[in-house]
Amino acid sequence: MRWTFATGTIIPVFALLVLSACSTDYDVTEVAPAEHLVTDEHAGHDHAPGEPCYETDIESEQPLTGEETTSIDEEREAAHAGHAHDEGDRNHGTQWFFNQPWAAPFIWGKLVRDSLVFLALAVGIFFATRKRSKR
Amino acid sequence: MADVHPLQVKRLSKRFPRKRGLGSVQAVSDLSFAVRQGEIVGFIGHNGAGKTTTIKCLLGLLKPSEGSISLWGYTPASRKVRARIGYIPENPDYDDSFSPMEYLSMFASMRGLSGDDKSWLKLLKRVGLSSWETTGIRQFSKGMRQRMSLAIALQSNPDLLVLDEPTGGLDPMARKEFREIIIEENKRGASVFLSSHILSDVETICHRAVILSRGKLVTEGSMKELLGGENLYRIVVISRKTGEEIEEIIPEADLQSRIDSLRRDNLPIVKVEMALKSLEDVFLSAAGGESK
Amino acid sequence: MKTVFTFSLMTLRMLARRRTLWGILIVIFLALVGISSVPSFDVGNQGRFILDFGLFGIEVGALLLALGLASNLYPRDRETRSLMPLLAVPLARWQYLLGRFFGAALVQAAALIVTCLGLMLILLFHELPIPADLLPATLLIIVEGWFLLSTVFFFSFIASPPLNWPLTTMLFVVSQMSVSEFVGIMPSAPGFMRFVRLLLPHADVFHIKDPIAHGFEIEPVYFIIAIFYGLCYAAFMLSLALALFRGRDIK
Repeated sequence: MRWTFATGTIIPVFALLVLSACSTDYDVTEVAPAEHLVTDEHAGHDHAPGEPCYETDIESEQPLTGEETTSIDEEREAAHAGHAHDEGDRNHGTQWFFNQPWAAPFIWGKLVRDSLVFLALAVGIFFATRKRSKR
Repeated sequence: MADVHPLQVKRLSKRFPRKRGLGSVQAVSDLSFAVRQGEIVGFIGHNGAGKTTTIKCLLGLLKPSEGSISLWGYTPASRKVRARIGYIPENPDYDDSFSPMEYLSMFASMRGLSGDDKSWLKLLKRVGLSSWETTGIRQFSKGMRQRMSLAIALQSNPDLLVLDEPTGGLDPMARKEFREIIIEENKRGASVFLSSHILSDVETICHRAVILSRGKLVTEGSMKELLGGENLYRIVVISRKTGEEIEEIIPEADLQSRIDSLRRDNLPIVKVEMALKSLEDVFLSAAGGESK
Repeated sequence: MKTVFTFSLMTLRMLARRRTLWGILIVIFLALVGISSVPSFDVGNQGRFILDFGLFGIEVGALLLALGLASNLYPRDRETRSLMPLLAVPLARWQYLLGRFFGAALVQAAALIVTCLGLMLILLFHELPIPADLLPATLLIIVEGWFLLSTVFFFSFIASPPLNWPLTTMLFVVSQMSVSEFVGIMPSAPGFMRFVRLLLPHADVFHIKDPIAHGFEIEPVYFIIAIFYGLCYAAFMLSLALALFRGRDIK
């Protein structure tokens, strides 16, 4: 197998597969564990049990009980301890990241994965487009 | 590989796509020639004949549509062989913000040459820019930019000089100096591939010439072969439309048939004489015949 | 790599002598001075306001510098024919591209560090504390600037300089969007939009002005990973630019 063939075809295809293998990406809200589901974005609207949440893409399987609601409220208050925005304001930028430390390893993993994929693509394209120098 | 020529072009063709996908323009077609070690070869053709396209192909700036180019047995993509080439582009231009000394120092560093400011000053003196070494290229005339190009081309003591219209913007004195430098470089051992419109220059310094018309090779050979071959005749006739005299250069073999055809057309023939053969006559005869 | 290094120094000297760099720097400084002069309704928030908008100004400055320095580099070299003597003899195409990129990247980084120092001076002038993360945050903006620079180089091989500006700016804006925001542009084709977003960069990882302005603690590993991501994406964009450049005839 020629090196140019390997780098020119297999690596990009593999890289795209790796990238697209993940249905979710950097949106923390899309992968938040159940106990972290109630966020500023999620709090603003209601939907029926079993109906997919438009903003989080995660199905709410059961209606929240009174106890759960209380515990989530407590967590939410805790999460808001360092939050500078007013109640109900939407997070923006990377602030969500620093507000939700549980998400850090998830995001770091994504960043490292994508970095390596793009690095492999860059190296592959560099070698695949090289010109022959010998006749 | 002693028989490997510095430059060998085999069946080179280059097509450029037209805009909006309307076919393509054939710039060079099935061109083959070689530059042998120690030769100065002239590359002649009218405007748009494909000379610059060929030169750009052999420097790797353009990708040939068909055919192959070999520089000492390697493709133009090889940096090893390109390091052995000195190149003067047609209408050269450089970044205005630098001086010739700065440019030479940077080019030397990029080429991995060992040289100091003294040797670059000597080089600038050789090409006639000795009092301009720290002046910004912004202030240079076209001729001075040509000299600057020559300095860059000579900087690495190249084994092959590729010169694309190097004397285009120069006055007669500067042209003479350029010719002398080319001859000196050839004596040092460099092969030279010289594309030029100034046929007297080619005739003076070249060992061989390759004549191109409409992207095709018309003829090639040593100066002796080109100038000493078949006799040429000059026919002067009077145009029926404008009443002006028109001159034609005709090879001896075609002379009688041309005179017969002019007589049939009732065109008054003023004179028929043997032409003192110059490269210009050869070129006009060869390229003119091709374009008919 | 000596060839690339020399050519990047040549590019650096060339760009430093152009008026574009100094013009953009003046615009950024005027913006920073303007931001610091806005009277805050709440004295307690003055520092946060200057930091937040100051870092935003530097980030936009990185975009302006990338466009101003690089959008015209290759087209100008090609138009003036100064590209030919370079590519014909001493430089391979990848060396040309990397040399031009590193030269512009060094100029851009130096300019951004100067603007960061300017922001520090403004904070000192207002007797406000300088956060420890301000310099690392500027470093992240520099890496974002390099990513933008590589994008500008990529577009310069397929678009004219006037078209390069809107294309790069559009990518800059889009790359700040989250997946759900991006899908929201065309909700009728969520799958397609998700796929496209996967390939587009996530420049929001460089966007840490809010956490710094609000005094959040940022772990050093975050800076390292975000910088690594930015450099890898810039390398990817440059490789795409190189693929286009290598396939191109220099007429």
